[in-house]
Amino acid sequence: MSEIKVEFTLNDNKESVVVPAEERLLDTLRERFDLTGTKEGCGVGECGACTVILDGEAVNSCLVPTAQVDGRQVRTVEGLAEGDELDPLQQSFIDHQAVQCGFCTPGMLMSARALLDKNTSPTEEEIKTALDGNLCRCTGYKQIVDAVEAAAKKEERE
Amino acid sequence: MMKNSRQNASNRQENFGENSKKGQKEPEQVLGQNVPIGSADYLAPESLNKALEYRSRYGYKAVVIAGGTDIMVDYFEKLPEVTSWLDLTKISALKNIEITREEIIIGSLVTHLEIARNEELKKYLPLLAAASSEVGSWQIQSRGTIGGNIVTSSPAGDTLAPLLAYQARFVLASTEGEREVAAEEFFVGPKDNIMEPQELLTKIIIPHPPENTISRWWKVGKRKAMIISSLTMALLLEVNKNDRIQSARAAYGAVAPTPLRLESLEEYLTDKDLQEVELKKAGNLAEEAISPISDIRGTEEYRRQVTRDITIEALREMQQR
Repeated sequence: MSEIKVEFTLNDNKESVVVPAEERLLDTLRERFDLTGTKEGCGVGECGACTVILDGEAVNSCLVPTAQVDGRQVRTVEGLAEGDELDPLQQSFIDHQAVQCGFCTPGMLMSARALLDKNTSPTEEEIKTALDGNLCRCTGYKQIVDAVEAAAKKEERE
Repeated sequence: MMKNSRQNASNRQENFGENSKKGQKEPEQVLGQNVPIGSADYLAPESLNKALEYRSRYGYKAVVIAGGTDIMVDYFEKLPEVTSWLDLTKISALKNIEITREEIIIGSLVTHLEIARNEELKKYLPLLAAASSEVGSWQIQSRGTIGGNIVTSSPAGDTLAPLLAYQARFVLASTEGEREVAAEEFFVGPKDNIMEPQELLTKIIIPHPPENTISRWWKVGKRKAMIISSLTMALLLEVNKNDRIQSARAAYGAVAPTPLRLESLEEYLTDKDLQEVELKKAGNLAEEAISPISDIRGTEEYRRQVTRDITIEALREMQQR
């Protein structure tokens, strides 16, 4: 296959890469940009560990050919904090002990971010729906849902 | 997303791969002088006409991709084997939702999330909006398209029973022109449909359901999220003010090789007073009309029993509404 030039915005920076047509966004992020916060769990869209935000919507980066993000905006977990200041969601995950092994955390954060960017005061049920596509096998979901709820309240106050 | 529609499409694709490995045929040689050498691998046209041109030139040799939520899974272990992609996501003409007096027209590239969130579709086509909101997860809904769900033609495709119940028609386009096919005639087997290799699904046309329509969507799966349906049901009754059922449409998914309407049940319900519908009889008719298989998502016996139960429950809810 020939290589494709792809220009896109990655965490607010304009980027340009040349990739094989079949390369997945997940691999481009990890291998070419060293953004290893985005994890590969299942590779088939079941687990959500690779979730990033594409044009405002949560997507599984394992199911997105990089060629398809040409001209679009991608946000990864590395794009959440501003300098040393954590995103309210990140701080809330720490405060609520919503991280155990941490493998699902970047995906959880990005799904939650996509939700809060649209809905500043989600109900518990709405939070659960937004996290439907993210599997956690050790922390337990309770702390995660609590963390998202608390972050939403904090963001609403500010 | 959209993929090669026929069950044997992947075989054809693989056969082609074998041929090219043997050096018998290269895409450019097969497809004529119009293909610029070196640009055949990733085709992402912005116009539908261009896409149709590519489709007529490449047919099954270019893997059609929209949201990628099926195709990237199908090709998980063989992505490097794909010789050409035809990416439809830059074609804005396929992303519209248009509501006219008579019909609702949905572009094939409209995502599940867009359908689930669209207030007008929620109002006019509640079965479809509900089914779209239960596809996979948000991540899948934000990428997966209604056209892809149709063209993939899985008997368990979540939007298919609602589309059958709404008597949707699919517009298939090629460089030769367009043809409209009724949803019921489109599906011919598991992951098999009547689309030709040079065609693309461009629009889904749904006549407005009458105002006095009541409906119930039901998806049964082992858990709420990220599940391929064990079975789906889209039941739609047109009921006049005297509670008489003027027409009935009962569509089920994952209970036969294709999504299907149960004519015997529809006939039984039509022209009957809703309150006089014998629930057990209706449940039995549904159970008898399906031809499910046993697989990891449920045994044949389970599917028959649950089909019966949800049919009864949905009709009971409608009687008590």
